[in-house]
Amino acid sequence: MIYTRRAFMGFSLGSAVAMTAERMFGQGVVAHQAKPLARPAPSGRPFHAHFVDVGKAAGLRAPTIYGGLESKRYILESTGCGCAFIDYDNDGWMDIFLLCGTRLEGAPAEATNRLYKNNRDGTFTDVTEKAGLRAVGWASGVCIGDYNNDGFEDIFCTYFGQNILYRNNGDGTFTDVTKAAGLLNEQTRWGAGCSFFDYNRDGHLDLFVSNYIRFSIEHAPVPGANTNCNWKGVPVECGPRGLPTGRHSLYKNNGDGTFTDVSQQAGIAQATTCYGMTVVAADLDEDGWPDIYVACDSTPSLLFMNNHDGTFREEGVLRGVALSDDGEEQAGMGIGVGDYDLDGHLDLFKTHFADDANVLYHNDGKGNFDDVTRTSRVGVETRYICWGAGMVDLDNDGHPDLFMVTGNVYPEVERTLPQYANKTPRAVFRNLGNNTFEELVEAAGPGVAEAHCSRGCAFGDFDNDGDVDMLIINLNETPSLLRNDIQGKQNWIKVKLEGVKSNRSAIGARVLAHYGGKTQVQSVLSQSSFYSSNDPRLHFGLGANTLVSVDVHWPSGLVESFKHLPINQLVTLREGVGVVKNRGWSNT
Amino acid sequence: MKRFPELSMMIRRILALAGLLLACRSSVFPEATQSPTEPVTSALRARDYDKAVELSRAALETSPENAQLWTLQGIAFASKGDNKDALAAFQRALKISPNTIAALAGAAQIEYQANSTAAVPLLNHLLQLRPEEPTAHAMLAVMEYRRGNCAAATSHFAKAGELLDSQVDALHAYATCLVKLKRMDEAVTTFQRALALRPQDPREHLVLASIQLMAKRPQDALATLEPLLQVKDVDADTLQLASTAYEDAGDTPQAVSTLRQALLLAPRNISLYLDFANICFTHESFQVGIDVITEGLSLEPKADDLYVARGVLYVQLAQYDKAEADFERAYELNPNQSLSTAAQGLAAVQANDLDHALESVQTKLARKPNDPLLLYLQADVLSQKGAEPGSPEFRLAMQSAKRAVALQPTLPAARSVLAKLYMQTGQYQEAIEQCRKALAIDPKDQTAVYRLIQALRKTGDKKELPELLQRLAQLREQATKEEKEHYRYKLFEEDTPTKQP
Repeated sequence: MIYTRRAFMGFSLGSAVAMTAERMFGQGVVAHQAKPLARPAPSGRPFHAHFVDVGKAAGLRAPTIYGGLESKRYILESTGCGCAFIDYDNDGWMDIFLLCGTRLEGAPAEATNRLYKNNRDGTFTDVTEKAGLRAVGWASGVCIGDYNNDGFEDIFCTYFGQNILYRNNGDGTFTDVTKAAGLLNEQTRWGAGCSFFDYNRDGHLDLFVSNYIRFSIEHAPVPGANTNCNWKGVPVECGPRGLPTGRHSLYKNNGDGTFTDVSQQAGIAQATTCYGMTVVAADLDEDGWPDIYVACDSTPSLLFMNNHDGTFREEGVLRGVALSDDGEEQAGMGIGVGDYDLDGHLDLFKTHFADDANVLYHNDGKGNFDDVTRTSRVGVETRYICWGAGMVDLDNDGHPDLFMVTGNVYPEVERTLPQYANKTPRAVFRNLGNNTFEELVEAAGPGVAEAHCSRGCAFGDFDNDGDVDMLIINLNETPSLLRNDIQGKQNWIKVKLEGVKSNRSAIGARVLAHYGGKTQVQSVLSQSSFYSSNDPRLHFGLGANTLVSVDVHWPSGLVESFKHLPINQLVTLREGVGVVKNRGWSNT
Repeated sequence: MKRFPELSMMIRRILALAGLLLACRSSVFPEATQSPTEPVTSALRARDYDKAVELSRAALETSPENAQLWTLQGIAFASKGDNKDALAAFQRALKISPNTIAALAGAAQIEYQANSTAAVPLLNHLLQLRPEEPTAHAMLAVMEYRRGNCAAATSHFAKAGELLDSQVDALHAYATCLVKLKRMDEAVTTFQRALALRPQDPREHLVLASIQLMAKRPQDALATLEPLLQVKDVDADTLQLASTAYEDAGDTPQAVSTLRQALLLAPRNISLYLDFANICFTHESFQVGIDVITEGLSLEPKADDLYVARGVLYVQLAQYDKAEADFERAYELNPNQSLSTAAQGLAAVQANDLDHALESVQTKLARKPNDPLLLYLQADVLSQKGAEPGSPEFRLAMQSAKRAVALQPTLPAARSVLAKLYMQTGQYQEAIEQCRKALAIDPKDQTAVYRLIQALRKTGDKKELPELLQRLAQLREQATKEEKEHYRYKLFEEDTPTKQP
């Protein structure tokens, strides 16, 4: 009766074989793995959206510097950053804000965040210097919101180091007010995702910041140093596993331009075991109060439910959005939010690492989620490391589609394992209207099929032509601006909200659009996708429908209904007032 | 643990005691008076058993309903070795007077020696009369142990108390039962009692150390092995066990060093290479593991286990062709071993080739249709392929998972996939049942806990949820700690130390 290691070996191998493949073969960044589902036969239905990368032609010619080109020594170099559509000058045209990183050996001259002003002719002008937004460092996420309710959108950027709050001065310039706002860190932190939102419904935008890792270059292990620094036998950057987790922060807006850290009393600081990434703040259980969902890398994702008293309770596992359907941690990166099945409830789409499926969660309207990755056929794709994502109607057929950008974190791996390329294509999952999706790459246009090492991705209509375009961060390349050259004559409506009692940006508002006997809900978000911020004008494709009514659930609690709104144009709705004149919008 | 000579001696002692009691006219027979038993008792005292038999027969002719006489006759027969007649006499005594302790003890002994279950009611009866009787408890414990009823056995072993301290085999039986019941700390204590009886016996040290490892007390195991490790001619088995202890104690360098020492002593011992591979697997030092296994294969080229282990390591490096070749070779060497076929299927799964995985599993399944591992894999691969409820593929998956569970109820992975399939069809109560059974096998099964939470949520039964959520959090925390321990070390080839930055 000697229980030797041989017995253990037999046990571990036997168990491993008997357990799922991921247990046997799991390693590296995240243990969970999923196999691609069998692909169904192509639907044969035409897809009317067609994406072309016009980034360089539009003037987005500066590369997004981020870490080494051929290899990454630290994880700091690989997670990348986000981008935003922001109408900083209120001219009704989406401008572009791009974050940027640096290099370990020092920042090249072109390394800076950039603001591009929309020239309203399909091109942009770099106004970074003029706007006072030049900044060099390891930027991560961006969230947009009018935190001081002055009618101009402000910018918050997270960093490894010190986050920055830029106040929009309303004259084309910004001022770094981080210190004055009380947002200086006492020590170096790795700010990751962020979201402006009004958690206490006082009309002032508060701020949630996720933190990724407690990290220092001086103490970080290097590639191959231990088992967390190898991926399929190749020495790579270490982490996040094995590195200490970050602590997330909630800052209450005092209404006077300053913030107070309320993380502890709000029940946020207690969640200390997750590598936080993208943050989404939305009313997921439809109780009128915003909740917080944090995609977490290699750890359970977090869902903070609002207790209506300034505190939150974390219920990610209970509500089914923390782990995979078999209870394993996943590498949560980006989050798409939308209503894919037109039932009026906000669903979630979360992107993950290679060899795992991105997950689609269906919301029952009470904030309880079911993993529908398999039944929706989203699980056919597991080849890529996926980042920015959206649940947006790309072809205006009235059914929100899914989109994701991809890119490896280990550029050195493809030299040993060519199947894990550094640059990989984007993917569209077009909504077939029956709660299933069909993956399209080449069929969605060259802008989708081209391979890049992408991270952040923002959705918006930069050319105001009534469809959804996309802005994408590519590491160590120029950004992509995917113009949607949509075909056909599908209808649409855009809804721009202006809060009065609610925060001016109307962040957190839920808009239910009723058309063709269906209801689609969208919410104004400060951040989603991966570390990015979308066009705040909510875009609803309507298909062939010409009648649309809208219900607005304002953050203040006010609910307003608008019948038979005009289609194929932007409609601006002011809280308690109704339809008001659009700013700077030219109807197409 | 087939025979318990020491226990037989105990029984002889109790019979002697019974004889003495009879001779003393003790309270065993309170109704006894100046009787015909006196001559028989005298003959027994004088160890003249033939005479005792003769006298008892004569006395019984006039007093056929005298239970004392039947009992004495039984003792006389038993002392002569005539168990058949002894048992008949005891039974006759018990028929007349069912509470005759000496007759119960005598009959129980004979039945016990014959390994007859008839001893059990006799011993239970005896214990009703004498609840603290340690010998009866000991006998009953052994009977229950032999019947595989460890729960009852351990209860009686415990009540046997110090009586066991002279019975190594009984202690082993007791401890074995404790191990089966997963009462590891008590098992350790019991094996320590056995070791105290035979402190010079290296086997006792090895057994105790093994159990200490199972009880997750590697430092104690090392202390137990220490005397064996100090001797000049330490053997490979001891070193192998010590290596396990060092590894479990978090001292991977010493584990590797000790294992290397064992390999020098027994270079053809396959299990040592498997141990090495296991350490390499744990610490994700896959290439080192492959190299060591290759060395083993050069000496033992027909060791199918080594091919399987190397194949597993190749998979970690995404070298699927080499992995498949190894799994195929393992299968050629030993077609009866299902691990290689299962691993082959899983390698294909890992290579994202589910069709190939399914083909591989089904090919092997055609030859071994009742292999639970392969049935499980068939269910799992079909499930991973996205078989839709209602489809033939889904039905096959469900059928395979059910058969795997029926064939090997202790295969938690099969229960896990069955629970998953039940969840997909909305059969939440069935899913709950499978999760609970999986957790009974492996209380650390995070997947089972998570699925149980989700299934209970679906049924609206929320009573257990807080406890389960806490349990899942604790399991995750524990897993993270263990992972950190595993990741403390990485193995490198001795001739390439510069690889370690």
